[in-house]
Amino acid sequence: MSLLKPFSKLPALNTANILLVESEEQFQQSLADALVKETGVTVNVRLAKSLPLPMENEESRPRIDLVVFIINLASELSLKSAEASLKYLDPGYFLGKVCFLATNARNASVPTERLDAVRKLAALLHCPLLFAEDQTPDGVANATERLLTILKVAAGLVPMATALYLSSLTQCTVPPDIDQPSFD
Amino acid sequence: MDDLSRRLLQRLVRRIPAQALKTTLGKWDRLTAAQRQSVDFTQPKWTITETLLAIFEENEWTMKHVTELEMIHIIDNPNQGMWYAFQLMDPEDDAKSVELTQFKEQFKAHLSELVRHVSVKIKKHTDEAVWIRIAWGDSFSRPNHMKPTYVVHHLQTPYVFVTSLTSKQKPLLSQALILSTRHQGIKDANLSGRKLAAIRDLLMKQYQQVFPTKYPGTLTEKNQTVSNPRIEREQAELGENRFQMACEAFGDGMLPQLQSAIYKLETKFRDHTNKTMTEREELPFKCVVKFSSTNLLESLRECAASGIASTPVTPLLSSIPLKGRNYFVITDNGLGPSSQTNQPQN
Amino acid sequence: MDGAPSKGVLSHLNLLEVLARSRKSQPQQHSRVNELKAKAAALMKQRDQLKAEIQTHQNLQKLRTSMDRQNSNDEEDEMDDDSENSENSQLLRLMARHTQLKDLLDAHHLIGGYDVIKTSRGKGVCVSLATAYEGVYLDTYNLEIDMKPKLRISRHNIPPFIPLNDLAEQSNMETNIKDFLDLLSRHLNAFAGRKQQLKIVKEELKSIEVMESNVLCSILVLMFTVPRQKTAVLCTLDYTDHTRCLPTRVHFDSEDQELPNSPEWKKNCSLLKETPVHKAIITMKKMGHIV
Repeated sequence: MSLLKPFSKLPALNTANILLVESEEQFQQSLADALVKETGVTVNVRLAKSLPLPMENEESRPRIDLVVFIINLASELSLKSAEASLKYLDPGYFLGKVCFLATNARNASVPTERLDAVRKLAALLHCPLLFAEDQTPDGVANATERLLTILKVAAGLVPMATALYLSSLTQCTVPPDIDQPSFD
Repeated sequence: MDDLSRRLLQRLVRRIPAQALKTTLGKWDRLTAAQRQSVDFTQPKWTITETLLAIFEENEWTMKHVTELEMIHIIDNPNQGMWYAFQLMDPEDDAKSVELTQFKEQFKAHLSELVRHVSVKIKKHTDEAVWIRIAWGDSFSRPNHMKPTYVVHHLQTPYVFVTSLTSKQKPLLSQALILSTRHQGIKDANLSGRKLAAIRDLLMKQYQQVFPTKYPGTLTEKNQTVSNPRIEREQAELGENRFQMACEAFGDGMLPQLQSAIYKLETKFRDHTNKTMTEREELPFKCVVKFSSTNLLESLRECAASGIASTPVTPLLSSIPLKGRNYFVITDNGLGPSSQTNQPQN
Repeated sequence: MDGAPSKGVLSHLNLLEVLARSRKSQPQQHSRVNELKAKAAALMKQRDQLKAEIQTHQNLQKLRTSMDRQNSNDEEDEMDDDSENSENSQLLRLMARHTQLKDLLDAHHLIGGYDVIKTSRGKGVCVSLATAYEGVYLDTYNLEIDMKPKLRISRHNIPPFIPLNDLAEQSNMETNIKDFLDLLSRHLNAFAGRKQQLKIVKEELKSIEVMESNVLCSILVLMFTVPRQKTAVLCTLDYTDHTRCLPTRVHFDSEDQELPNSPEWKKNCSLLKETPVHKAIITMKKMGHIV
C-alpha cells in the first residue's frame, strides 16, 4: 500500500498538478480537456479510476497539488469507490488539498440520504464540496473555473494565500439539523 | 380476384410506406412500365390501393401474386415481429447434400400431408437464405393468408428462424422441416429478438469476435483517445485490459442487436430456522431477471469495459454470445446456465 | 499508259497489274516500317521496364540478405548504411520487409505451425488457423481451447456449417490435437478456396450465370451458353468431399440431349473435375465451347 504524499516531490515552476479520481471515468475526461486549456499556468492533469495509484508511474508522476474526488450522486458505487480511495491519501492532503465534486445532484431519483452522506463526508474531512453539471458545456466550464481557483491556491501560485487558509473558508459544513427528520 | 386477396392487397398497401411500396413493386417486376407510371405514390393510400386493385383485376392476378408481393416486402423488411430460432439436430448422412429443388418439393409434400389446407410459397433470397411463407388452414377452413408464418433457413446449417407461429402449428412445421432437411430432431434454440439479421449473425458467428493474439491489434489502437500530452491516465493499462476482456466476451465493432435477455432462477428455500418458508417444500422459489436495451450486447460490453460490471465477465452474461441464446433457466443442480433448461413458451 | 492501246489488251492488263501492285505495296511497306518501328519501340520500352524491375529486384534481394544478416547481428547498422532515406529507398525497405515476413509466414504454415498462444486467464490456449487460396490469405479462424479439466473447445468463430464437433470426435481431439487441427484446417481451407472460386466466377466471369450455391459452397449450379446454337447448359458441380476444392461429381443438363455425351463436353467434364472451376471456365471459353 502506497500513500500519495503532498510534499514528497519538488514543485515545478509555474506549474499546477491536479488528480481527478472518478470511478466511472466519464466526467473526468471532459473536465481534463477543459483544465489544460488554462494559459496562465501550466496545468497537468492525472486521471485515475480509484486510489491507490499504480507503482510503475511513481517516477513520472509530478507532485500532486490537488486531489478531486468526482462523485456521481446517482450511483451508490461511485460514492463507495471514493470512500475506499480516501484512505490511500496522506493526511497532509486534508489540509486544503482535497475537494469533492458532486454531479447529478439535481436528479430527482437521487436519494437525499446519499447527498447527506456526501456532505457529512466532506464536512468530516474539512474539505470543500462543489456541485457541477456534467452534461452541458456550460457546466463543465463552470466546474473548471472553480477547480482552477482552488488549484492555483493549492499549488502556491497565489501570493498571500495558502491552501489551509482557503479551506478554512470554503470547507463544507453540515447544518445541525441534518439528522432531524424533515416534516414536509 | 376474390374478396380475400383483395383484402390482403388492401392491408398490404396500407402497411407499406409509399416509398417502400415503390421499390417493392419495382423488385416484383410484374407491372409494365405504363402500369408503373399510372400509380402515383404521392396520392393517399386508398387511391394507390384503388389503382393497384384495378391493375390486378385487369391482369386477372390472384392470391398467388398478392402473396408474392407480400413476400418481397417481408424479405426486405424482416424486422416486424419476434423471430425465434430453432436448431435442427442429429443430421442424417445425406443432410449435407440437400439442395434447393429437392428441399422445396419435400417440404411442400410433407406439409401438405400433415395439413389438408395449406399454402406454401418458397423463395430463395440472394444471401443464400431460403424464405418460406406458410398460410395455414385446417381440414375445414381454407388457408388464412392474413396470418402467414415466415420461416428462414440456410441450407446445410442447423438453424431455422421463424416468426408468427402458434403452438398448434409448431409440431407440424417441425416435422416438415426435420424430414425435408434430413435431420432427426429439432429443438428450441432459446434465442429470440426483433431483428432477424442479429439472430442470424449471432448463431452463424458472422459478427466480429475477438481472440487473444500476440500482436498489438487494432483494439488498443482504437481505444487510445488522442489527447493532450498534459493529461495522463494513471490506470490506462487496467482500462485497456478491461476493454480487451469485454471485447473478448462480446465481440468488437457492431454487435448483433438483441433486445433482451431473460434469466429464470428456480430453486428451493433452504433455511432450517425459518419454518414457514421451508414448509412450502414442494413450491419452488422463482425469480426472473430480464435485461432489456435497444442493443443489449453493446450495453453489456460498455458496462464491462467501463468497469461497472466486473471483469472477467461472468459466464452468465458471456453465455449470450457464446451459446447464442438469450433465454436461460437456472436450476439448483446446474451451476452454469446451460446445464438445465426447460422449454420456454413462445 | 499512253502507248498501251497500241500493244494490245493483254499487255495493257499486265501493265495495269504491275501498276496496281506497286501502288498497293508501296504504302503497305511504309506502314510495315512504321509497324516495326513501333514494335521496336515497345520492345525497347519493355526491355527498359524489365531492366528496371531487375534492378529493383536485385536491390530488394540485397536488402533482404542484409536484413536477414542484420537480424542476427545488430539492427542499428542498417540506418547508417542507407542514410539517403529517400522515399524510394524507404519503399524498397518496406517491400523487402514484406517479402521477408511473407516468406516467414509461408514457412511457418508449411511446417504445419499453428499460431497458439495462452489465453489471458491462463486456463487454455487460443489457436488461430489461417486460410489461403492460390497464395492469397483469406479469413482467419480462431479456436479457444480449455485444457482443464478436460480438453474442450470453449469458444470459436467457425461458421456452424463446418461440423466442428463431429471433426473433433472423428479425429480424437483429446488424444491427438494435431490431427484434429490438421483436419479442421483442411476443411476450412477447402471451404475458403471454394468460396474464393465462386467469388471469382461471380465477379470476373459475368457471362456465366450462377444459378445456385449454398453457404458451404458445396453445391454449385452454373448456366453456360453454347455459342452459335445458343443452347443453355446447366452444369451441376457437387463437392461431396468437403476437404477439397475440386468437385467430385460434374453433371450437365441441356435441351440438346446429345450434348453432354459429345466428346468435347466429356472433355469439359473431366476438365471441371481436375481444375478449379474458374480456370476450367476460362479454358472452356478459350476453346470456344461456351460464351
